[in-house]
Amino acid sequence: MFVDFLQEVWRTHLDAEAVIWRGRAYPYGWLSERFDYWTQQLATEKIPHGAVVILEADFSPNAVALFLALVERACILVPLTDSVRAKRAEFISTAQGEVSIAIDENDAVTIRPLERTATHELYQHLRAEGHPGLVLFSSGSTGESKAAVHDLRPLLEKFKVRRHALRTITFLLYDHIGGVNTMLYTLSNAGCMVTLQDRSPDAVLRAVEEYRVELLPTSPTFLNLVLISEAFRRHDLGSLKTITYGTEPMPESTLKRFHGLFPEIKLLQTYGLSEVGILRSKSKTSDSLWVKVGGEGYETRVREGILQIKAQSAMLGYLNAPSSFTSDGWFNTGDAVETDGEYIRILGRKSEIINVGGEKVYPAEVENVIQELDSVAEVTVYGEKNLITGNIVCASVTPAFELDDSRRKEFVGQIKQHCRQKLQNYKVPVRIEVVRDAQHTERFKKARR
Amino acid sequence: MSSQERITQAIYRAVDELNKTFPKGVHLEKSPDAPLYGQASKLESIDLVNFIMEAEEQLNDEFGTSITVTEERALSQQNSPFRTLGTFTDYVSGLLKEHGINGD
Repeated sequence: MFVDFLQEVWRTHLDAEAVIWRGRAYPYGWLSERFDYWTQQLATEKIPHGAVVILEADFSPNAVALFLALVERACILVPLTDSVRAKRAEFISTAQGEVSIAIDENDAVTIRPLERTATHELYQHLRAEGHPGLVLFSSGSTGESKAAVHDLRPLLEKFKVRRHALRTITFLLYDHIGGVNTMLYTLSNAGCMVTLQDRSPDAVLRAVEEYRVELLPTSPTFLNLVLISEAFRRHDLGSLKTITYGTEPMPESTLKRFHGLFPEIKLLQTYGLSEVGILRSKSKTSDSLWVKVGGEGYETRVREGILQIKAQSAMLGYLNAPSSFTSDGWFNTGDAVETDGEYIRILGRKSEIINVGGEKVYPAEVENVIQELDSVAEVTVYGEKNLITGNIVCASVTPAFELDDSRRKEFVGQIKQHCRQKLQNYKVPVRIEVVRDAQHTERFKKARR
Repeated sequence: MSSQERITQAIYRAVDELNKTFPKGVHLEKSPDAPLYGQASKLESIDLVNFIMEAEEQLNDEFGTSITVTEERALSQQNSPFRTLGTFTDYVSGLLKEHGINGD
């Protein structure tokens, strides 16, 4: 009854490709049968309605069918991917998982009970309503990961409006609000999900070429990697109509360069959070960072420079943190924004602002300036405590080429020089560390400290 | 060159680096009496931070040490070590002495 609307769409597209996994296409007819099979199987296995199910998987045919079968059974889903393996035990314990379902790289499924009873009041609420739930962990790129609990019934509501069927890459992960959104959007419009085993620039762009992908939802960090690796020169991106990017501020330099190379690809910023879902957004132009966010089911306002959102399908609350809602029901995003009429520009997380002697510095602004240099592959800006100015701005920079130690100082000098020309003096990094390694997480976001 | 001279030269190199960052017309003299931070100085706090970091690096390169100037002790001195280049030199000479570098 929760996913009837999906099945209705599928019934008229039985031969259309639903999922492409490891070079094989699985049509909607197959997905329908598989959904029925798992619905039956969950009953046979006596998985209770309202059970908290840890679902360890990446996008695969069974991972898609099982996700929906669990929704239909009004279970509470906790998707986890390999990207969070370091925190796996902590997440399972925080989520109070009662059943474990693991899907391996060959799409084989193992179901086993866990010796635990989940009693969190948010779960009790879902069970009393008889609604399926979804638990999503925030990336925790800064601080502790928070577990947001959603009622899936209102969350599914917005997918009942039919939109374009697109061939879409499931780049964002299975345990990420963006990944869940990609899956539900695609399946509710009889589009095709092109899954990935490898999220390197070449592997992703190869899939775009091979499966004539139209939509690539991704992150600014990934687009930067595409530019650095020059993977775009090795693959035909002619089918690609739209790239959406969200999850972190986009460096203006990356956006302009990408748009310059591919003026025909529409670049759209999305704004989504584990807590409220993905808002529809409209960028002013493809090379602009100004966006209008909102859409049906969402209202936005800015209070003290911070974006607040009222959503029809916001999370119920966190499992492991106090609520972030104002007394009148607005979710405090913690994202500092600038406004220009209806448009906003995201400056960065309030918690990441570096306070230098009372002046605010947004890491993204400094990163953007450093990233303008061709000699720089990746950069992460962060604050460090300092007794004189409270904090100082520091940067970790990965050079775009091999750099021997004798030229390190010169390289650092060039970066500082460039920053001085573009930024006020307190924003210029005092300390610049040259690193060799990549600086992003497995979710393709900047690895912040 | 005596250790004291090497200290002074290292600090002057840091002054050169700092001066590169200033707009035309602003300039820190390479003299012990040059005001570093306080009433008579044109330096902002962030300039002082940059100068200290640069001086630390120059000194540590010169002597193979790992001294840190910006610590509680430096800020809790009765007389700030950051008044002039001279007082700063005296303070870091003291720190280096603790690391076995004798500037006297």
